[in-house]
Amino acid sequence: MIAAPAPVAARAALSASAFRSPTVPAMQATPFLRFDGVTIRLGGREILSPTSFDVARGEFVCIVGPSGCGKTTLLRAASGLVSASAGEVRRNGAKMTEPSREVAFVFQDYGRALLPWRTVEGNVSLALEAAGVPAAERAPRIADVLAKVGLAKHAQKFPVQLSGGMQQRAQIARCLAQKPELMMMDEPFGALDALTRQSLQDELARLVRDDGLTVLFVTHDLEEAIYLGDRVIALQANPGPGRPSLARMIDVKIPRPRDQLSTKEHPEYLHLRRELFAFIEQGHD
Amino acid sequence: MTDSRLYRWLRPWVFPVVLVGAFEWYARRAAALGSDALAPPSAAAKAFMGAATDGSLWTATGFTLGTAALGLLLGAVLGIALGVVLGLSRRAAQLGSVSIEVLRPVPSVALIPLAMLTFGFGVRMELAIVAFATFWPLLVLVQSAVQQVEPRLLEVSRVLGLSSRERAFKIVLPAIVPRLFVALRLGVAVALVVAVTVEIAANPNGMGYAMMIAQQSFDPALMLAWLVWIGVVGFAVNAGMVLLQRVVSRRMGVQP
Repeated sequence: MIAAPAPVAARAALSASAFRSPTVPAMQATPFLRFDGVTIRLGGREILSPTSFDVARGEFVCIVGPSGCGKTTLLRAASGLVSASAGEVRRNGAKMTEPSREVAFVFQDYGRALLPWRTVEGNVSLALEAAGVPAAERAPRIADVLAKVGLAKHAQKFPVQLSGGMQQRAQIARCLAQKPELMMMDEPFGALDALTRQSLQDELARLVRDDGLTVLFVTHDLEEAIYLGDRVIALQANPGPGRPSLARMIDVKIPRPRDQLSTKEHPEYLHLRRELFAFIEQGHD
Repeated sequence: MTDSRLYRWLRPWVFPVVLVGAFEWYARRAAALGSDALAPPSAAAKAFMGAATDGSLWTATGFTLGTAALGLLLGAVLGIALGVVLGLSRRAAQLGSVSIEVLRPVPSVALIPLAMLTFGFGVRMELAIVAFATFWPLLVLVQSAVQQVEPRLLEVSRVLGLSSRERAFKIVLPAIVPRLFVALRLGVAVALVVAVTVEIAANPNGMGYAMMIAQQSFDPALMLAWLVWIGVVGFAVNAGMVLLQRVVSRRMGVQP
């Protein structure tokens, strides 16, 4: 267990995992995305204590934590779907108050987020219609994103005709069609079976690498967070004095491209998994 | 096998046939005793054929159906538009709640005197009353349907940056289509009932008036023919709506 204010020598020795102090995030001039004292209160209770951190362009940041720690609400506040009780989120220096087309949001419940009366193609088209893309240019762009997520053969199917994994692919395709620079993902693979989840994780990693996307990825699955993330932010529930919500910030220095077998046998992976697991265990007592 | 299917198909018709037969027998006996109130179904059928060949049947049916349809269109368009607004905006719903609760219980036929003063006899007066009568059920049903639209879909529309017009036409209206059809079927029934009522009570046009004239000129056979015909027209209109609903829902991806 590593305490947050570690001595310099100890931190240097741990350069492989590079634990940062959550209270002193490394601030840049104008970071791509900056969380500045974001606080969430519900019914007079503080769910998320003031939380500050920066996200660099192209970074894949995973947010983990037990249920009720405010990770989903933090993501929703960052996308402008809800407003934080205090603090602000700035993207390229501008405050996020309303959802923007440059920020895509992948919901966990794909079954409800897709329009059941539109085909896969129609659902993707919705993003283009919203962005005012002329009708003639839509078809090639739809075909392009559907090919990226491996749904090219299912363009004419309705959501109810697809499996859960394919529905989530359709939602991701719709988000990619927006051409976002930032993608928010709220436990996107939480409801899928293990095999589907693994293949979607690998495809997501590939898509993010190809398109140079920045991703904020909320999950309750520690292994998923380490496997996908460049950085893992661990939140804890029931914040209070001397117990901030932001409990750990961990850089994941595992080389990419990652692989379901060899990455999960990587010593760094095992080490981080142990660290985070101990932390989550502690949070549940 | 084919026999049992034939029986299953015939079974619902047994009771009506027996009923018509009994009525025929009873009405013939009453006529023999000198009653002017009842006519046997065979006489009604003859009167019906007469009305069908001289064209009065089609003129009156066309007038009633046309007026009911136009009135429903007017009432439905206004009711759906306002229902969507009230369903999406809590502030608008609060603003309108008292006015709606006061106006909605006014019986539509109570508007006949007012409509007669304003529009005189004819299409416009009947149209106004049908529109008023169908406006309220559509408003209330559409408002509650909009309030039950999956909130996630509204979030999707915010995240994708749809304009409020696009949100209404691409998310909200398609999402309420199943409930909208229930409301529209109710609206069709109300429109037909109100149109015929207005014709019986005031407007000298259409099927209701034709039935009244038959009654007042002591022609029970023709009156009965009109009564049955109004029932048949109502049944056909409702069956048409069911068919339309099925076609639309299939095109919108609902699996049979």
